[in-house]
Amino acid sequence: MGLITILMLVLLAGAILSLLTKTTAQARGVALVSSFGALAIAILMYLMYDANFNTVTHYAFEESGTWMPSIGIGYHVGVDGISLPMVILATIVCAFCTIFSWTESKRPNQFFALLLLMDLTLIGVFVSLDFFMFYVFWELTLLPMFFLIGIWGGPRKDYSAIKFLIYTHIASVLMMLGIFALYYFYGASTGIFTFDIPTLINAYKDGLLPISQFWLDFIFVTIMFGFMVKMPSVPFHTWLPDAHVEAPTIGSIILAGVLLKMGGYGLFRVLLPMMGVASTWFIYLIALFGLVSILYSPFAALAQKDLKKLVAFSSIGHMGFISLGVAASVLAGMDPARVVAHTGAMFQMFSHGIITCVLFGCCGVIEHHTHTRIIDDLGGLTKKMPKLAILMIAGFFASLGLPLCSGFVAEFGILSGSYHTMPIFVILAAISIPFTAGYHLWAVQRTMFGPYNEYLGDVKEIKWFEFLPLAVWTIIFVILGIYPEPIIGMMQTTAEYFLLSGDVLPIGGIHVAAGGAFPW
Amino acid sequence: MVDYTALLPIGIVIATAVIVLLTGLFIEQKKILGYITLVGLLTSLGLVLKGWDLNVAFDSAPFYGAIVVDPFAQIFNAMFLIVGVLVAIAALKAYGDNPRQDEFYSMMLLATVGMMVVAMSKDLLALFIGFELASIATYAMAGFDKRDPKSIEAALKYFLIGGLSSSLMVFGISYIYGLTGSTNIDTIASVFGANPGLATTPAILLAMVMLIAGFGFKMAFVPFHMWAPDTYEGAPSIVSALLAAGSKKMGFAAAFRIFIVGLIAMKVDWYIAFMILAVLTMTVGNILAVVQTSVKRMLAYSSIAHAGYIAVVFVVVAYDPAPGVAVIHAMTGGLMHAFSHAIGKAAAFIAVAAIAYMILSKDGKVDDPNHVSNYDGLAKRAPMTAFLFALLLCSLAGIPPLFGFTSKFVLFLSTIEAGLVGLAIICVLNSALSVYYYAKVVMRMYWGEPKGEAFVESSTYTFVLAIAVIALIVLFMPLPGMVSPGDLVYQWAEVAAHAVTGV
Repeated sequence: MGLITILMLVLLAGAILSLLTKTTAQARGVALVSSFGALAIAILMYLMYDANFNTVTHYAFEESGTWMPSIGIGYHVGVDGISLPMVILATIVCAFCTIFSWTESKRPNQFFALLLLMDLTLIGVFVSLDFFMFYVFWELTLLPMFFLIGIWGGPRKDYSAIKFLIYTHIASVLMMLGIFALYYFYGASTGIFTFDIPTLINAYKDGLLPISQFWLDFIFVTIMFGFMVKMPSVPFHTWLPDAHVEAPTIGSIILAGVLLKMGGYGLFRVLLPMMGVASTWFIYLIALFGLVSILYSPFAALAQKDLKKLVAFSSIGHMGFISLGVAASVLAGMDPARVVAHTGAMFQMFSHGIITCVLFGCCGVIEHHTHTRIIDDLGGLTKKMPKLAILMIAGFFASLGLPLCSGFVAEFGILSGSYHTMPIFVILAAISIPFTAGYHLWAVQRTMFGPYNEYLGDVKEIKWFEFLPLAVWTIIFVILGIYPEPIIGMMQTTAEYFLLSGDVLPIGGIHVAAGGAFPW
Repeated sequence: MVDYTALLPIGIVIATAVIVLLTGLFIEQKKILGYITLVGLLTSLGLVLKGWDLNVAFDSAPFYGAIVVDPFAQIFNAMFLIVGVLVAIAALKAYGDNPRQDEFYSMMLLATVGMMVVAMSKDLLALFIGFELASIATYAMAGFDKRDPKSIEAALKYFLIGGLSSSLMVFGISYIYGLTGSTNIDTIASVFGANPGLATTPAILLAMVMLIAGFGFKMAFVPFHMWAPDTYEGAPSIVSALLAAGSKKMGFAAAFRIFIVGLIAMKVDWYIAFMILAVLTMTVGNILAVVQTSVKRMLAYSSIAHAGYIAVVFVVVAYDPAPGVAVIHAMTGGLMHAFSHAIGKAAAFIAVAAIAYMILSKDGKVDDPNHVSNYDGLAKRAPMTAFLFALLLCSLAGIPPLFGFTSKFVLFLSTIEAGLVGLAIICVLNSALSVYYYAKVVMRMYWGEPKGEAFVESSTYTFVLAIAVIALIVLFMPLPGMVSPGDLVYQWAEVAAHAVTGV
């Protein structure tokens, strides 16, 4: 049994044990041991990781076992430079979330069990190398989040929970059809029926599937739709603000911090290698999805009255950068620039995952202490909550892309790297930058500064268990902003393998035929 | 000398039925009969599992080829026996004090015998006899709570529609006999195969219409479904479990044999009809399930929707011009889905019975104990039952980690393999829609406000539900170092699929 299986079993055992406990302290104790145990294993994996772990499959800590061999379903897990940072992200976020919810008193046993299950299912998505397993975990992430929103959520939780469940489920089942087609055509042509992700993706990208353009596009579009809804990309984003507004703070942190990254992860793991064969039109489509999200989110955020909804819309824009970076990195252009775009997009997933935790954490603290999230009702909180003010200002500045924070590194990489292949897209995306800065600064100004709103009464300072996780996350994104090498190094190795080795994508990138879908 | 050991499972069930009926006349403590029933069913189930890959045809006297024990028959036998076991355990609680419980058990056993005969028969007459045996026993069971007007109504509706559908079936069978001169399904298949010109004669079209309508009623396809919600809602819940999980699967066992083996040469005539029926059945079933306020009625409509999913098997098998892996996956997926649905739906109806029992014994007289508002806060009032019921609903909705997901996965896989993209999209969207009404019930259980204090949970009911849920989870899960139990079911269904489709 390898480290990955142990990691998942630790979380599963923690979830079951914590469900059986009676008090908050017991449930929290189990959750702390289990989630920090998982974090420790993830860090151990990070320390042991070596990009040349396996030069054939390029996966480290690979394990495979039987599940349903008759139909080609196997237990197959492994990590590489794309998934290991995501595993670390998921464990960091969930481990500090257990501290953040130190005093959870409503059904604590179920709460902490769901938190651990959330961690487990997210990690499951990131480590699965079998489409059946991947899909199972992909679906399973819905259940803990559904219950977190439903039981601990706000006033319109019924509507939000069911909308979240059905909307993303529809996207998943359509994605399932694409997986079916991939499975079938590979099996029909080779006689080997398997759901193994590397095998199927390699066959697709090498053009080994003897199928018509319709089916190639069908596979690509259905899978892309599943990922775009999860990211979420405008116009499939409407479930996200509703889910965030009603979700409890922990739910929002995990939703924005890790769950959305499943979509981005899918782009890198599944879609990116396929782009060489599917219509090049789709590369532009992905870039367009990204661009629309980037341009739409600041204006939607400017119009929000609810601080949490504002943060929710900011996520949509930041996720849009990932789509843009992925699309730009596969087109033909200067190699160093493409690697920069690709690495930047991967780093954006990690960076945004950490930064958004601080933002939603601050929203949660403000709501908890002042009982409101409406921006106009807040004001002058620096006077009452100076510690929170520091964290919140740090978080918002990082989110708007201030240098020395990890968000800057990521977005700078994406924009500068993409300029060579998609200049028009980058120039258009750059329009959003002042507005992004604007809504962040304006939100901080209205909540933190100015005259204190006396209606709020005597607001207490942030508690230690709320402060600690936020401070840790802040430190992480600042350190990574100054010295991103620990994470970005491993990503860059994978990016170079993907883009420059010729194993995954054609060397030199994908050339768009003259007179392609887009004139530029 | 012919070896009859393959018939031992059904023989044991028949013997148990007779023993239970006769012993019931003489003893006062009738609860023991429930245990005898259980022993009989479990022994039979054990033998079926042991001989899962038997392939014995009884071609000489006294059966003359009417009965065959093949993997296809065995997997259905296993389903019927599992449902029988679940219902029998639940009946220990539901009818433990009922003075007429001996009749209940013997009728249930006889219904199981009927279903097993249908699964094993390769002759239209034997099949019809099995059908009637199972039907007549279940008519009486539907009206078992004879002081409850709803139960009487259910039984009456079920009886009238059942009689009508039987007559339609016999009518169809008589035409088939007239055209081929035989009631043996294999002979019918070879005659039709040798005379493709028959496909366009009015007689075969009429026979096909009659058969589809007759089976449509039995399997509750839309638009032949009107009786099913009323019957499932009015009948005692554990009888509904038997009807939805067992009796409906019997319809599929028979229809698979008749259409996919007997009338496969005529497939151009019937596959469009089945495509329309499948789409209508799943869509209408799901849409009507959304608006139900009674959980039991919702389960009835969900059962109609599931019949629609399984009906996809007919479409894929008949549609594929070069029968291959799609046909096998469709048939295998259909059998697996029937299997997971049999366990899941039987247990779900038993859960409804358990919840209604708790509500009636605690809250006293309520208008409709199955009304969804009674499920508010059930997770606090009866945590175990609510948890298990929620998992069962997950299985029905096709959400992992339960076997209902695996079976739906394989079934829908076949639609893409056959190239039926439109049908595949309709199927998965229907499946997504179904999540909505299952989730509604879970939401009420988990974050509704409880209407009263905690219940005392019945250990018997909880036991049944736990068995079913554990079975569904174990069938899904991977096990270290070995193939998963779900794979064994897959292999079983695959062998059966090869046997039935001849691919």
